[in-house]
Amino acid sequence: MRIEQHPILEFRRGKKVKFIFDGKEYEGYEGETIAAALHAAGIRVMRESPVLHRPRGLFCAIGNCSSCLMTVNGEPNVRICTEKLREGMVVNSQKGKGVLYEKRS
Amino acid sequence: MHRHEVIIIGGGVTGCAIAYNLAARGLRDVAVLERYYLASGATGRCGAGFRHQWGTKTNCLLAKHAIAKLETLAEELDYPGGIDLKQKGYLILAYTPRMVEQFKKNLALQQSLGIDARWLTPEEAKEIVPVLNTEGLLGATYCPKDGHANPFKVTDAYARAAKRLGVKIHTYTEVLDIKVEGSLKTVLTNRGTFQAPVVVNAAGGHAATIGRMVGVDLPIKPERHQILVTEPVEPLLDPMVISFYHHLYCQQTPHGSFVMGLGDPNEPKEYNERSSWQFLVQMAGKIVRLLPPLKNLRVVRQWAGVYDMSPDAQPILCEAPEVPGFFVAAGFSGHGFMIAPMTGQLMAELILGQPTSLPVDMFHLSRFSRGELLIEPSVV
Repeated sequence: MRIEQHPILEFRRGKKVKFIFDGKEYEGYEGETIAAALHAAGIRVMRESPVLHRPRGLFCAIGNCSSCLMTVNGEPNVRICTEKLREGMVVNSQKGKGVLYEKRS
Repeated sequence: MHRHEVIIIGGGVTGCAIAYNLAARGLRDVAVLERYYLASGATGRCGAGFRHQWGTKTNCLLAKHAIAKLETLAEELDYPGGIDLKQKGYLILAYTPRMVEQFKKNLALQQSLGIDARWLTPEEAKEIVPVLNTEGLLGATYCPKDGHANPFKVTDAYARAAKRLGVKIHTYTEVLDIKVEGSLKTVLTNRGTFQAPVVVNAAGGHAATIGRMVGVDLPIKPERHQILVTEPVEPLLDPMVISFYHHLYCQQTPHGSFVMGLGDPNEPKEYNERSSWQFLVQMAGKIVRLLPPLKNLRVVRQWAGVYDMSPDAQPILCEAPEVPGFFVAAGFSGHGFMIAPMTGQLMAELILGQPTSLPVDMFHLSRFSRGELLIEPSVV
């Protein structure tokens, strides 16, 4: 769902770009937040809570609350409600607290 | 007017551990006076680590017995949530030939006291900490039973156990003055007057101020140290990493966040609990060079606290010779939290006139006037 017309705000959308979320290809507009693109695609669960593993949706939408942390291009704990979408981004929902470093064997 | 057998000034881990140990030995008419909330001073601001790896026999023994107590503390104090205990070791890095020499001396001492600490080559250190940049590293010492505990939970566990035994804990109660008449001490606070024949000074960075109230001169100076904490991630750093060369330490807590601190050798000796942006810049620069993958971690917050520095970085544990009934448990110089279980026990034994379970004579205040300092070489 997107708001196309708004009585006060004017939306200047960037060009359409493709990105990958949990292995599947999606489309969004360049420069909108990753969360906005996922929301428009019907994705509502952004994260699971770290202890009880309950679903967490978009909450503060301004980069404060940690409800939407995802791994973006390999970087864990990215706040996708403020991170802007770019062509070809690889976004993965995060189980647990995020992996900063994986030991190569 | 509140009358008690013992008044303890300071509601940090040391004060609460002394209160519990007194009550557990049957002396239950004890009051703890804390100016803010429990663990609001150095306890709650500390780096939350404990280690066996010290450079003096006394500190090694104190640490060894205290850590053995921490291992079973949650059961002893009936604290079901636990104290966030993690025993994945401390890795202490050596960068100069002098450090190598000192560390090997320390190891010989530690091993002679039955402590399982060992020397590691840079390659072996990297096996334990794969994210470690070993550039310039000559080696490291490692003790697998060193680790982490939560200072708030340890303090809370002692305080709750003490309360169950009848100890009274008064928070937001600031000591303003102490009057000594005969054997009786009258403690004036912002919340009324307390009297007891025995007063214990466990006031950390404020210990010298409390000492002056009864005419006891304590050579303890507050010294600011700063810490930051990051967002949590999945476990990747097992041991606490310490570098005396960089004056820093860094560990990952069981929660997943990284806690790290930096000592500034030029820090003025004054009571200062404000954090600075300079610390943030220096800490980040140094830790990213030492543990490069941490560059992608976000800092959540930073804070400062004070070490209660004594001239030889060792605690003062004794009854003041000039004021019988006035006991001192202060001057911990940055390692009060980790030895608190033993401090609590030893002070309770001293106060009750019982034989102490470890020798404590060397911690007496009079060592400074005799010039018998016990200098601890291994402090960040």
